[in-house]
Amino acid sequence: MLAYTAVGNVFVWIVWIAAAAACIGTGVLVVTRTNPFHSALALIGNLGSLAVLYLLLSAEFVAAAQILVYAGAVMVMFLFVIAYLGGKADAPWIGGRSWHQVAAALAGIAILADVLVAISLSAGGTLKTEAEVTRSFGSPEEIGRLFLTDHLLAFEITSIVLLVAAVGGVVLGSHARRTEAEAAAESAEDAA
Amino acid sequence: MDPWWIDIIKGFLIINLVLVGFAYTTWAERKLLSRMQGRYGPNRAGPFGLLQPIADLIKLVRKESFFPMSASNKMYIAAPIISTAAALLTFSVIPFGPGWHIWKWDVSGSVVDAPIALILVFALGSLGIYGFIIGGWASDSKYATLGAMRTCAQLVSYEVSLALAVLGVVIQAHSLNLNEIVHQQGEQFWFFGPQFVGMVIFFLAGTAETSRPPFDLPEADTEIVAGYHTEYGGMRWGLFSMAEYVNMITLSGLAVTLFFGGWHGPWDPLGPLWFLIKLAVVVFIFIWMRAALPRLRYDQLMRFGWKVLLPVATLNAFVTALVVVAVK
Repeated sequence: MLAYTAVGNVFVWIVWIAAAAACIGTGVLVVTRTNPFHSALALIGNLGSLAVLYLLLSAEFVAAAQILVYAGAVMVMFLFVIAYLGGKADAPWIGGRSWHQVAAALAGIAILADVLVAISLSAGGTLKTEAEVTRSFGSPEEIGRLFLTDHLLAFEITSIVLLVAAVGGVVLGSHARRTEAEAAAESAEDAA
Repeated sequence: MDPWWIDIIKGFLIINLVLVGFAYTTWAERKLLSRMQGRYGPNRAGPFGLLQPIADLIKLVRKESFFPMSASNKMYIAAPIISTAAALLTFSVIPFGPGWHIWKWDVSGSVVDAPIALILVFALGSLGIYGFIIGGWASDSKYATLGAMRTCAQLVSYEVSLALAVLGVVIQAHSLNLNEIVHQQGEQFWFFGPQFVGMVIFFLAGTAETSRPPFDLPEADTEIVAGYHTEYGGMRWGLFSMAEYVNMITLSGLAVTLFFGGWHGPWDPLGPLWFLIKLAVVVFIFIWMRAALPRLRYDQLMRFGWKVLLPVATLNAFVTALVVVAVK
């Protein structure tokens, strides 16, 4: 039994290193590729490797939802638009310094600081409390229960945000259609 | 819990059985379509043309594997592999038997018995779409790109209805585990009765998801030649075709599992046989629809998906939830 778990641990390490490397690698590809289609594909790979990391944290439902919602539904829309519009984008560092780069650098520094704090805390033994992972941890039932009890407010606010986004999409779409119709009517008048 | 090597044997067996199933689904489709149209269909290779799939395979493998000059090489080659891999992976969660006790090992009736099996099916399905889109885009041809766009729009539109149709069953069974759903149907009743509306929506949305006629707009040959696989030939095209048929078989298996009691039948020891018979009936209905129905227009397809199927599917899930709570 001991040998069995040891082999299992080694396997977990191998999967973790592969997924983490893939995560960083695809993350770098997202911002360095000049072809937006390639960037989008790298982003899909990034979301997929994040799902593997979730699996290692025994959060099966979150991993599957990550694939289904982000790598699946959301990124399909990205690819759809990119394939329709096509074209090549400039590399992000072309065109001199801009406030984008300042903001990106600040965000990067913030995340780096976060990582450093986490590493130093765990090295100091502050984060050593064992996580309680029961059998039902990460199951759909448990997550559903948490959504409707402890995190009800956040859940409802998220649904309102999504509703607003959907209504906004419809308004923008119908506005574009109306201006098209108006333009057509005007040109018809001109012709008359 | 199976030892790991039983999982490997099961996986190997099921993949090969599904591939044989794919080969003979193409034969059955050609034969049935011909009969429905007053023709003979394949009847030269072997008795009743039974060796036709093997002859087709040899032909496809021996063809020159060309690709367009301007195609994006790596993605062009990877696309059919992504689609086929996702399609074959999806079948692993479908339960095909009650599970057996062989010598000193318990062997479960599906390759993977995951508590979130149903979500896994949809997740893998949504990854399979990328093969079609990448293939169409990497071919760098107008017809292929148009086909990829159509595939993308159609599959995204109907995926929502498909998931909502399944939600009714999930609410009734209180589980996302396919084995659990089949067990419950054995104890109570098959879900096609109480979930009749859900079943009809599942069939319609499923036909669109697998791009089968009358929803075969992604490869409407009179409009866009062959859609996303216009520039593919030989076994690369064969892999795309394989992905489509395996998707159809998996969807039929899912329909049997969710609505028709899975492997349950009059005599329970014959579990896999009942599963196979039901699967064959559902696949027959898919082929029948291809012979009977003309293709929809694109605006009809979109209007039907968003304005008819989606509201009905939402209503079905809502009413099911109300009834389940009221009964409890």
